[in-house]
Amino acid sequence: MTSYYRPGSASEAVAILAANPGAMVIAGGTDLVIDRRLGRADPRAPLVDVTGINELRGVRWDGDELHLGATATISAIESDPAVIVRTSALAEAARVLGSVQIRNMATLGGNLCTASPAAEMVPPLMVHDAVAAIRGPAGERRQAVADVVTGPRTTILASGEILTNVRLRAPALSGSCYLRQTVRWAMDLAGVGVAAWVLTDGTGREAAVQEARVALGAVAPTAVLVPGLESLLAGAPPTTERLGAVSAAASAACEPISDTRGTAEHRRHVAGVLAARALSIAHARAAGLWSGGLAPVNGRASAVTSSGERA
Amino acid sequence: MRSDYAVVGKRIPKLDAPDKVTGRTVYADDLKLSGLLTAAIKRSPHPHARILSVDVSAAEALPGVYAVIHAGNVTQRPFGFGHDNTPLKDRVVRCVGDEVAAVAAVDAATAQRALDLISVDYELLPAVDDPFEALQPGAPRIHDELDIEGNVSMEWNFQTGDLAEAERRSAVIVSGSYSSPQAAPAPIETHVVIAGFDADGALEVISPVHMVFMYRKELADCLGLDWRRITVRQPPVGGSFGGKIDIDAHDFIAVMLARAARRPVKLAMSREEEFTGTRTRQPIHFQLRTGAAADGTLLFRHAEVVSDNGAYNAWGSHALLVAMNTVTSMYRVGTSRLNAKVVYTNKNYGGSVRGFGNPQATFAVEQQMEELADALGMDPMDLRLKNANRPGDVTPQGLEITSCGLSECLETVRRKSSWDQRRGRMRRQHRGLGAAAYVHVGGGARIYGSDGCGAMTKIDDSGRVALISGSSELGQGSETALAMIVAETLGVPLEAVSVSHDDTDVKPWDVGVHASRTTFVAGNAARMAAAKARDELLKGAAEVLDRPARSLTIRDGVISVPGEPTATLRYEKAVRRRLLREGSSIIMTSAFYDPPTQRQDENYVGNISASYGFGAHVVEVEVDPDTGMVRVLGLWAAHDVGRAINPMSCEGQIEGGAVMGVGLALSEELPVEDGRFPAPNLHDYGMPTAMDAPPIDVTLIETADELGPFGAKGIGEGGIILPPAAIANAVADAVGVRPRSYPIRPWKLRRWIETGERSHVDKRPQLVRDVNAR
Amino acid sequence: MRISITVNGDPVAQPVDPSDTLLSVLRERLHLIGTKWGCLTGDCGACTVIVDDRSVVSCLQTVGQIDGADITTIEGIAGRGRMMNDLQEAFVTHGAAQCGFCTPGMVVAAEQLLRDGVEPNGAAIREGLAGNLCRCTGYSKIIDAVLSVALARME
Repeated sequence: MTSYYRPGSASEAVAILAANPGAMVIAGGTDLVIDRRLGRADPRAPLVDVTGINELRGVRWDGDELHLGATATISAIESDPAVIVRTSALAEAARVLGSVQIRNMATLGGNLCTASPAAEMVPPLMVHDAVAAIRGPAGERRQAVADVVTGPRTTILASGEILTNVRLRAPALSGSCYLRQTVRWAMDLAGVGVAAWVLTDGTGREAAVQEARVALGAVAPTAVLVPGLESLLAGAPPTTERLGAVSAAASAACEPISDTRGTAEHRRHVAGVLAARALSIAHARAAGLWSGGLAPVNGRASAVTSSGERA
Repeated sequence: MRSDYAVVGKRIPKLDAPDKVTGRTVYADDLKLSGLLTAAIKRSPHPHARILSVDVSAAEALPGVYAVIHAGNVTQRPFGFGHDNTPLKDRVVRCVGDEVAAVAAVDAATAQRALDLISVDYELLPAVDDPFEALQPGAPRIHDELDIEGNVSMEWNFQTGDLAEAERRSAVIVSGSYSSPQAAPAPIETHVVIAGFDADGALEVISPVHMVFMYRKELADCLGLDWRRITVRQPPVGGSFGGKIDIDAHDFIAVMLARAARRPVKLAMSREEEFTGTRTRQPIHFQLRTGAAADGTLLFRHAEVVSDNGAYNAWGSHALLVAMNTVTSMYRVGTSRLNAKVVYTNKNYGGSVRGFGNPQATFAVEQQMEELADALGMDPMDLRLKNANRPGDVTPQGLEITSCGLSECLETVRRKSSWDQRRGRMRRQHRGLGAAAYVHVGGGARIYGSDGCGAMTKIDDSGRVALISGSSELGQGSETALAMIVAETLGVPLEAVSVSHDDTDVKPWDVGVHASRTTFVAGNAARMAAAKARDELLKGAAEVLDRPARSLTIRDGVISVPGEPTATLRYEKAVRRRLLREGSSIIMTSAFYDPPTQRQDENYVGNISASYGFGAHVVEVEVDPDTGMVRVLGLWAAHDVGRAINPMSCEGQIEGGAVMGVGLALSEELPVEDGRFPAPNLHDYGMPTAMDAPPIDVTLIETADELGPFGAKGIGEGGIILPPAAIANAVADAVGVRPRSYPIRPWKLRRWIETGERSHVDKRPQLVRDVNAR
Repeated sequence: MRISITVNGDPVAQPVDPSDTLLSVLRERLHLIGTKWGCLTGDCGACTVIVDDRSVVSCLQTVGQIDGADITTIEGIAGRGRMMNDLQEAFVTHGAAQCGFCTPGMVVAAEQLLRDGVEPNGAAIREGLAGNLCRCTGYSKIIDAVLSVALARME
């Protein structure tokens, strides 16, 4: 029989972890259950189920600050009306993660802490400059999400620490977008996933970029922020030339591998393509020009199918 | 054409559907048996290695383990074409997944622990996973026990006509290379087999296999069993698509474990094992050339083919049989030549997967049709129609084309897709239309001495009509179609008919479910048996009604005399009148139908099927040229089904096949790295989801085949054959490059767009001018 | 540990290993074999059940996490005293089941999608059912069946 703990508070969880070296935290279980069955994780390791902890739950807005509990499900993020409008990249990433069933189970904290290079939620959190709260025996510390994942399947969480929440701000005149390239149109991991965020100085087509961030998933051991965007974009609207420069910067920021989801060369190219598209959509959102709801998954306005269904 | 049928041609829900939608259907893994043990297989992790030793002592000592077997402690004979395989490998493993040992234990956890305790020492051997490398001198020899050259397991060579002369006369010759991937049938239900001996030594196997009589014979031959004492029962099948067609190493292993353990055992494959240890669709590489005169008349086709067989010969080695038909007989092509080598490689080996070589061949043949048309300045549909097979044609391989709706299929999809208005005119939006058409066996396929199927009917005192058929239901709807054929033939309501087909002790012999043959062959057998029962019924009714039997008709269960409204008799009464009296008798009839076909001779000539199915698709795609992503926006399908016994089931076969074809075209692949599948799971494999499947418009073309039951022809495989070719053609229309291989994954397509990939088109202006001048 | 759950309206108390999956408890303990498995990785959806008004893949759901939950499987989807509900009838009449192995999971997923008020159009239903693989039908008839019920239930 597996040792199984279901703490009622974060501090209790931390205490249990301290008392059980090797214990693993389980939330949605959508990765861990598979890993235990296939022997990629120790099937006898004690489990600490954090889904019973109230303070870890929920999607909550406090003014322009978004508070995402570590055990907030992907479907809760996907369906939050304000997330869809104000932090669209998060909703767009949530919407394409697995299936309805998986999204009902999988959590934000799980997606972050599993630390897959292709983790869908990480690039959107990074462009939104999200900060993670981490609780451990020594108390709570805060860390930029961009610094939480350190490599494939590794994070800065020390043994005995748990993620409790992630917080970010969505100021007025900001907008974001997440796009990806996959082989299938659903139930697929990103070959390339790109999030963009833009803060403008006003509304309308000529609104200038004040700040911009682009993060790339599945093109390096961890998601990466594209450096140097301020100098390329700040002070003007994202013209075609400027977007071209963003593409080049994004491609240059990749350190991809070739695997069953794409060649390195292709990933590098597509990261550039999607960066420009995502940035353009994020700008449209920030500048109040977007009325299209969530973007098509590859950012390309799609045709209508032969029977009139939306493609 | 007759259309006043009472049952045939109606949209009838499948008889098994209510149980399936309520979760009541009991599949193999749902069965509970007393004393049932769990089996598990120790597989090779190496693509090619010598087995130095197998130590099972620790596994045998584990409490809860009932049997541990390996080649050293069982009796087994080779199986497979050319007898190149054994259930448990004794000297050499030739692919990852090769079966080395197996255990039967009290539960799955114990079985897994026992596997972990088996130690196998290997000496690694050089491996080759590319068939072109395997053909090179000095390549590793994969079967050094066989007397073969260069890892060539078999060759298929066909030639007719004067190729050099046809080339000289051609105004345009298109040549190119076309490849297909290793793919998987991937039914949602994995393979499950239950085997047990009764106390008297008779064997019962419960398995969702569907060439069940051959299965029984293979079991007996390999394991030295008395095949009269083997019963095979087939539970409902959770999908096969050819994957469960016949016997595999694990079937023998389950029986050997049951024999060793003296207990029944169940072997259920995990999904990872399903990909690694069961049969796949083998990659086939075509170098194809097609030549045509300036007016579009096809003059020749020449294919040089390498089939990547994998480690052993299962049915996949014979996919060239079908691929050859397409090269020589799709359209009126006349002069044709095919040279194919089936080459061993150190990989999971090919089986018989839906379409059986035809998607691969059609991908090459139909791309060249559109390339030829473009080079000649013709519309591809006009080129196809000009060369379309027609009733009465005999193809170079001796295929006798009887009913043939190919032209009507082409015209239908052309019209419905607005081909003439849209093809070639959507390049700016990166959208395109592409077409393809096929020929496939539709009236059985004589790959064995007999291509027959038996049927029996009985009518009991309640009026219940039982059809006992040799065939099997895989979900495709044959059970319902057969019941409809019986109801129509007998003139009784469909509710009165039941179908049994799941027990070799009870059912009459059949080759099995393959080659789209069941509606045609099993349907004819059922129709013949039912016709005899009808004669018996009317004979009995004639006595009661005092009219000659030939003057009677029966419809909806009422026997009547035309023109005499009062002279009627319910059919159940006619049965009871015969039964409930002295000197009684009941109605039991039987029939065996073997289609009037030939096995192909040593030159691959012979009319292998009693009829041929045809169909055409048009596919619309949208390409994102900067990411390489392809969206299928629509698919129009028209298929010559002869006669739709159950139109809803025909559509279901076509739609399901088409989406499997979309998967082949765009996403499904088992890439091999160092002889292994790095990702044997459904996350990476690329099976289409509901969001990948396009809306599909199906038109059933009815040509009333002379020999088919009520005119029906086979349709089980038609849907899957065309999407790879049609989607490649649509991509070419959308972005102007030629997909050389499928799946057309994003990075491949983007690369082709950058390099401007095209086939070689050899256009001879002199010949074009000459013909045009005439 | 011992869990108390409600399965198809029946209270069930079972001693379990909390790391057991709901799938194994349903199939092996409760003999509710209508719930199928096809991958054990959450990719095929054949094992879909409803846990407290959310569809989940039972192959990845550990039972330790669902003490007290209300679970509906294919066996309970029609409700007590009914053989089939309107959705199941629509699957039958539209020809939406072939081999039937994906069907229980598909029906359960579609039922929850309908209860969640899916937009009555093909695209929305396709997106909602993308986690349920069907190898037989090509999805067309499944989408038609679900769409017909979505429209009928709106009336």
